[in-house]
Amino acid sequence: MISPIDRRTVLKWGGGMLGASALMPRLAFGQQTSINYWHTFTSQSEFAGLEAVMAQFASAHPDINVIQENIPNPEFMAKITAAVVGGGRPDVTMVASERFADLRAMGALVDLTDRIASWERRGDFEDARFASITSEDGAVYGVPAFAFVDWMYYRKDWFDEAGLSAPTTLDEMLVAAQTLTDPAKGRYGFGMRGGAGGQAFVVNLMEAFGSPVLSNGEIGLDRDRAIEAVRWYAGLLTEHGVVPPSAPNDGFRQIMEAFQTGQTAMVWHHTGSFRDISGFLEPGVEFATAPIPAGPAARVARLGYAYNAMSSDANADAAWEWIKFWGEPDAAVALLEATGYFPASTVAAQDERISGNPLYAPAAETLGFGLPQPSFPGFAGWSESVVLPAFQRVLIGDATPEQAVDEMIDGLAAAVG
Amino acid sequence: MSTLTLRGVRKSFGLLEVLHNVDLELEDGGFLVLLGPSGCGKSTLLSIIAGLEPASGGDVLIGERVVNDVHPKDRNIAMVFQSYALYPTMTVERNMGFGLEMRGVPTAERDGKVLDAARLLQVEHLLARKPGQLSGGQRQRVAMGRAIVRDPELFLFDEPLSNLDAKLRVEMRTEIKRLHDRLGTTVVYVTHDQVEAMTLGTRVAVMREGVIQQLADPQTIYDRPANMFVAGFIGSPAMNFISGVLEAGPGGPAFVYEAGRLRLSLPEPAMPRGVAMGRPVILGTRPEHLTLGSGSAARLSGTIDVVEPTGPDTMVVAMIGGQPVTARLPPRVALRPGEPVELAVDTSALNFFDPESGERL
Amino acid sequence: MSRTFLPAPYGPPRTVWDRINPVRLIGELSETRYWMYLLLLPSALLITAVVLYPTLYGMQMSFREMRLNRPDLGTGFVGLRHYERMLSDPVFWVSLRNTAVWVTFSIVIEFVVGLIAALALNRNLPGTKVLAVLILLPYFLPNVVAGHMWALMLDPRLGVINDLLVRIGLLEGYKAWFADPGTAMAAAIVVEAWHSFPFFTLLLLAGLKGIPTDLYKAADIDGAGPFAQLRLITLPMLRTIIAAAVILRVIGLVNSPDLLLILTSGGPGRSTQVLSLYAFQTAYRDFNFGYAGALSVVMFVFLMVFAWAYIRITKVNQE
Repeated sequence: MISPIDRRTVLKWGGGMLGASALMPRLAFGQQTSINYWHTFTSQSEFAGLEAVMAQFASAHPDINVIQENIPNPEFMAKITAAVVGGGRPDVTMVASERFADLRAMGALVDLTDRIASWERRGDFEDARFASITSEDGAVYGVPAFAFVDWMYYRKDWFDEAGLSAPTTLDEMLVAAQTLTDPAKGRYGFGMRGGAGGQAFVVNLMEAFGSPVLSNGEIGLDRDRAIEAVRWYAGLLTEHGVVPPSAPNDGFRQIMEAFQTGQTAMVWHHTGSFRDISGFLEPGVEFATAPIPAGPAARVARLGYAYNAMSSDANADAAWEWIKFWGEPDAAVALLEATGYFPASTVAAQDERISGNPLYAPAAETLGFGLPQPSFPGFAGWSESVVLPAFQRVLIGDATPEQAVDEMIDGLAAAVG
Repeated sequence: MSTLTLRGVRKSFGLLEVLHNVDLELEDGGFLVLLGPSGCGKSTLLSIIAGLEPASGGDVLIGERVVNDVHPKDRNIAMVFQSYALYPTMTVERNMGFGLEMRGVPTAERDGKVLDAARLLQVEHLLARKPGQLSGGQRQRVAMGRAIVRDPELFLFDEPLSNLDAKLRVEMRTEIKRLHDRLGTTVVYVTHDQVEAMTLGTRVAVMREGVIQQLADPQTIYDRPANMFVAGFIGSPAMNFISGVLEAGPGGPAFVYEAGRLRLSLPEPAMPRGVAMGRPVILGTRPEHLTLGSGSAARLSGTIDVVEPTGPDTMVVAMIGGQPVTARLPPRVALRPGEPVELAVDTSALNFFDPESGERL
Repeated sequence: MSRTFLPAPYGPPRTVWDRINPVRLIGELSETRYWMYLLLLPSALLITAVVLYPTLYGMQMSFREMRLNRPDLGTGFVGLRHYERMLSDPVFWVSLRNTAVWVTFSIVIEFVVGLIAALALNRNLPGTKVLAVLILLPYFLPNVVAGHMWALMLDPRLGVINDLLVRIGLLEGYKAWFADPGTAMAAAIVVEAWHSFPFFTLLLLAGLKGIPTDLYKAADIDGAGPFAQLRLITLPMLRTIIAAAVILRVIGLVNSPDLLLILTSGGPGRSTQVLSLYAFQTAYRDFNFGYAGALSVVMFVFLMVFAWAYIRITKVNQE
C-alpha cells in the first residue's frame, strides 16, 4: 500500500491552511470548492431526483460545486475498495446500510459524530434512522438521505378480475400467484429476483420462517427453519411454477420489466420503483401497493437507508454542507416526487404531499413494523457470494434445500470466523 | 512437350484493357520469350497461359487441347516464379516433390524423380534443408528443380533471374539454356531483360501496352525491328534515330537531314522499297554500324559530345543534325568533345521508319 | 578514417585532471563490459517498479491474512493456509473446471471464426473494406457494453434472439438462456466468441497479408486444393502469429471476469463460475485479499505452465 500522502499529512496541511485562512480576508474564499460525490443512482427517475436536489443545493450554496459520479451498484464495493487502498477517495459517498459494516471496517469513512450532534436538523430524525450507520462503539458516520421501504407492487386490475385482494401472508400470496399464473399467456404470479441482488429476499424469507441470521448479537442460522424457507421460496419455481423460468438470472431490470410489461402479477421491491412503474401502469388502477406478506414466524420487510457519508476529509466543511442538505424537507420531497424514495426525516414524511396519497399508505404502515438489514462485517459478501449461488442451485435443481442451507451455514462460519 | 497456341486472347480489368487480341504460335520444343517494359502485359499473358488468371476472351491451346476452362493443375505445366515461391515450411525435397505428392505419385517413385532433378541441378546436398537456409542461386535451382520433376508439357518462367545479382544471373542464364537444350521442353519465358531474350529465345515476342509489337527470332528482331519501339527497346546502346527526308538528288538518292543542309548519299539497295521521294522518314542505325572515316560516301557529319570508353569499345556520342548519335568505335580512339567528326554509315544495315506511325518502311 | 573502427584508446592517466575528468571517466567506463549493464539499468529499474514489484506484492499477499473488513484479524503470515483451503474448496474446483471449458471452447470458436473472417477479408473483393470494419466492430466495444448488449438481446422477455428463434421455428417459446445451467455457459461462450473473434481476425489478417501470393499460385499449379493450401501453406505460415494470438487470448480469457460478471455473475448456482470471477468476488465482495491473492497466484502459475507447454508443443520458437 503506497500512499505518498497519508492522512496525517493531509490533516497537517489542511489544518495549517485552515489556520492560515482565518487570518486571510474573506475575499480569498470567494472561489468555489469542488467536492466529489459517489452515488449508485442509475435509473432516469433517480437521476432526475438527484438533479433536483443538486439544483436546490447549488442555489443555497453557490460556493460549493458538487461533481456527481455514478458508480453502478455491482461495481461500487470494488471501486471504493480500490480508492481506499490506492487513493482517489470521493469527498462524499452514498452508503447503503448493508455496506456500512464493511466500509467502516476498512476505514473508508470519516467519523461524523460531533458534526451530527450539533446539526440543527438532528431533531427531525428518529434515533433509529441512524442505527445502521452507527458503529458498535457509538460513533455515527452518516446522515440518512432517504429510506428504502420494502413493499409489494401488484396488478390491481388482475386481482380485481380474479376476485382477489392483496395477500397479507405468504400462503395467501402463493394462492394468488397460482390463480394468476398462466404460462400459455406468458403470465406468472410473481416476479422472483433469483439473479443479482436476489440474496436479500432469501435472507428475509429465512427470517420470516424463523431463522434470522443475526439475533441478539448472535450470528447463525436455524438449519431446519432455513431449509423450510428455502424450500418454500424455491418451490415457487420448482414446485408450483408461478414465477418465470428465467428467475435464476433475473435481476432488478428483469423483474421490473416483467412487471411493467404485464408478465408478472406481483413483485417485491422498495418504494423507489414507484415512479418508474407509474410510467407504464396506471397507479391505483392497473397496479397498487401493499406491505410485504407475513411469514409463519415473522413479517419481514426491510427498512433500509441510503446514507451520505464522508470518505475523505480534504474538503470536510463543504462535504458536510452537502451531506446534511439531504435532510432538508424540500430536498427530501423533491427526491420523493421524482423517484418514490421515502424521506428518512419524520418532518419531511409528514408533508402533505406524502401523507395525502393513499398509495403511500403501505409504506407508512411498513415504517411501523419494518426491520433494518442485518449488519456485520462479512454479511454482504456472504449473502452475495454464498447465499445467492446456493439458492440458485436449488432453483436449477443442482442442490436440495438441505444442501444449500448447509452451504450457507459453512459459508457464514468462514465469513465471520 | 507440346505446342502452344494463343488465339485472340484478351484481358481487361474493368474498363482497362491490358491485353488486346494476342495471337501467337509456338512450336514444340520452342523457347518463347515475352519481352517488354513493366506494365506491358507480359506477366498477365503468362498467368493466362498458366490458368492463374482467366482471359476475358480468346483461346489458349496447349497441344491440340483448348485449356480455357482447365484448372492450372490439369494443364500439365510447371512454373518458376520471380520470388521462387518455395514453400517455406517444407524441406527442399518436399518442395520439389510437392506437385507429385499432390498427384498421388507413390513415395518411392517421387523420391527417385526428385533425386534425378536434384542431381541435374546440383542441389542434392540441399534436399534436407528448408528454403530459408538457401542462398538466392540455390533457391532458384530448387525452384527449377520443382518444375522439372513434374516433367510438364510446358515450362513457364516469370522473370526468374531478376532477383539474382549480375554474376549469378549470367550463370543461371547459361544454366537455363543448357537445361532447355537437354530437356527440349517447350518454354514460355517472361523477362524485361533484352540480353536474356536474345540469348535464350528461339522466338521473341516484344510487347507494349498489351500488344505484341513483333514476334520473330531474336536476330530478325535485332536486325529488322518492326517499328521504332522494338528498335529502341532492343540493343544497348539503343539504335540511333535521325529525322530527315528522302530525296532524289543529282548524285543518286540521298537522306537529307538538318533542314536540308546535310545529306547522306544512299546506294540504291539501301533505299526502302515503295517509298516516295520527298517524304519525311526516320533513319535508324545501330551504333556498331557507324565507323570513323571520311572515305565512305555515306557519311554523317557532326560534333563530338561525349566519349565513353568501356574497355572493348569506346562509345562516342556525336551531335548530328541536333540529335545525339552514338557510335560504337574501337578502343583508344583519339577524340575529344567539341571536335568535328565524320561517321561512315554501313548502308547495308539501315532501317527506315515512318515518323507518324513509327512503323518500319 | 584509419581508426574509426577501433574504440578511442584511453592510455593510463597521466595527470591529476585525467583521474578526475568526468568525461574521461565515463569514456573509460564505456569501454568496459559493465557499460551495457549500466545502460540497461534504467529500464531494469522501471520494469522492477512497474511489473516485478506489484507481482511479488500480490504473491506475498497470498501468504498473509488480509481481510479488509476484519482488521481485528491483522495481516500476519499464514503460510500455505490459503492454498490448503483451496484444495478442499468445492467452489475452487468447480471454477477450475468451468475455466477450462470457458477458455477452451471460446478459443476454438474465436480462432475458427476469426480465421474464416480473415480468409474472407484477405480476398480483396469489392466491399471487403467496409466488411472489414463491420467485422472488427465487436472488438471495439468494451466488454461491459458488449455484455449488457447481449444480456438484452438474449433476454427471456425482450430478447430479439428469442424472438428470431421462435419466428423461424427453432424454439417453441422464449428461453431464459442465462437461467438454465445447461445453456448459461454455452450462451456466455457465444457472446465471448462474438466479442473477441475479431482479435484473431485482425492478427491473422496481418499474417495473411504477409504470405506471398506466388505461393498460392505455385500451389495451384502443383495441384493443391483449397484445403491442402490452408493446411500446408496458410496455417504453417501463420504458426507464429497463431501461437502469439492464442497465448494472448488465453491470458485474456483466464484473467478477465467482466463479461461473465455482467452476464451471469457466475450463476445460476455456480454453473458459470470461473477462477477470475471467483478471485474478483473473493477480493471485492468478501474483501478477503489473502485468499483472492492465492487464487490469482494459482491462475498465474497455470498460465505460465500453459504458455510454456504450448510453446514447447507447437515448437513455435524453433525456426
